Amino acid sequence: MANITLSPLYRADGSAKYSKAGYSVIAAVSGPIEVQRRDELPEEAAVDIAVRPAAGVGGLRERHLESIIQNTLRRVILVSAHPRSLIQFTLQIVTSPEDGTVTGNLPQAASNLPVLPALLQASILALISTSIPLSMTLTATLVAVNSNDTLIPDPSVQQIKLASSIHVLAFSSHGELLVVESEGDFTMDTWEEVYQKAKLICHGEEEYKGESESEDMSMNSEDVSNLENVLKDAVERKIAKSQRWKESMG
Amino acid sequence: MPREAEPSINDRAFLLQALQENIRLDGRALDAYRHLDISFGDDYGVADVRLGKTRVLTRISASITAPRPDRKFDGIFTITTELSPLASPAFESGRQSDLETHLSRILETSLRRSQALSTESLCLVAGQKVWALRADIHVLDYDGGLIDACCLSTLTALRHYRIPDASVKGGDLTVYTPVERDPVPLALLHHPVCVTLNFFESGEKWLVDATLMEQQCSEGEIVVAANPQGEVCLVQKGGGGEVDALVLLRCVEVAMGKVRELGKAMDGALAKDAKRRDKGGMSRELRAENER
Repeated sequence: MANITLSPLYRADGSAKYSKAGYSVIAAVSGPIEVQRRDELPEEAAVDIAVRPAAGVGGLRERHLESIIQNTLRRVILVSAHPRSLIQFTLQIVTSPEDGTVTGNLPQAASNLPVLPALLQASILALISTSIPLSMTLTATLVAVNSNDTLIPDPSVQQIKLASSIHVLAFSSHGELLVVESEGDFTMDTWEEVYQKAKLICHGEEEYKGESESEDMSMNSEDVSNLENVLKDAVERKIAKSQRWKESMG
Repeated sequence: MPREAEPSINDRAFLLQALQENIRLDGRALDAYRHLDISFGDDYGVADVRLGKTRVLTRISASITAPRPDRKFDGIFTITTELSPLASPAFESGRQSDLETHLSRILETSLRRSQALSTESLCLVAGQKVWALRADIHVLDYDGGLIDACCLSTLTALRHYRIPDASVKGGDLTVYTPVERDPVPLALLHHPVCVTLNFFESGEKWLVDATLMEQQCSEGEIVVAANPQGEVCLVQKGGGGEVDALVLLRCVEVAMGKVRELGKAMDGALAKDAKRRDKGGMSRELRAENER
């Protein structure tokens, strides 16, 4: 189950801590702030991402993750609303699960993809906490496919090691596919299955009904298992907590 | 990158005038620390220290490498500090600032050079394999007292860390997983803690554990690192401003009391965490250093 804390830090403009399946990430956003001359974009805000590993200094893995996240968030944030400024993200990985075997290397998972959903979730929550205008929110998940074509959502480190392919998918709040990163051998049919599964995890049931009706549905539905509702719930609780003084006034 | 905002002239005057009347803006006594909270992660060797609004997270990790050729019997212990924009927008990632250099020098002297950790105990096979221990200090929030919090966090993490047990038989090295053998604590020789004091009114007045604003208004600072046994590991005076020798002596004396206080808080937090982990009271029997 995901564990979400909004605004745990004092100094950053907005921050969030997101923990799920052994991964824990603290994200901080500063922005819009002054941008360095060389990074300045005349018509939109520059988005700068720094991913920092729990142990050791960042390397190629982190740079790769940064580029994926940067490309995603540039679509999510209304960058044209803040031209010639900078929105700066720092994503600190606090814990990543270990598989209990001792290796000569630093405790980092062999592949870098499994941490990506947590990074994306943490950054979107931090953006909400910063109150930067967004065009949509997003939810991301990890699905592994093992050798006999079974789908495993939120796999453990062992399961990832044995999997024939792993996939990270992120969906916008409109249910559109935003990010897809896959590793390993798989067929197009398997990918379709993964897509359906991931969509179900992130966005819940397919909505065939009209806009107003679906809103009623979400109001009545008791099912908070899909990730979008988890995020919504966390934000609602935070708002309720911050507004408590108002309620007590009557 | 924005600079750290200086306190305004009015803020500064207010703070200094209050100090003249021995009042601090947050109502603390001049020699009182802010609320200290030490918590641990699920893994060994992760310590999260909160000192007021300052928050530092340290993570210890170990790997096996070859030792330096001139020091065949010594393991490697490195402390890395990188100040990121998490803590304050004024910190730039990827570039070393003066504060960061200052911080890493002090940690280097107080923890590494004072031989708090016996590096010889990290040797596995002389000249071939040693543990390389790494302390990654992540500053999450910055409101003054950085040196004190970082030092405390690193030391607590070191005391909390358990290194995998290993044995050498006929030149073959076996490292055991936590399932096979319970990991063992590190060999720490003493527990040095840093205490920072800031000076005001040309060295006449000093206070302990300054907040960021107090730090910005101060004329100078002195860092004292000592262990609870009363041995001083480091005294560093910085930031200009002259200070009377007798005041300096008095400061070291005050710092000594604070070191004991912080040491006690650290002991308490560690004991509490050990109790939480000790499910069913079996940890004593399961310890790796017991006879088999």
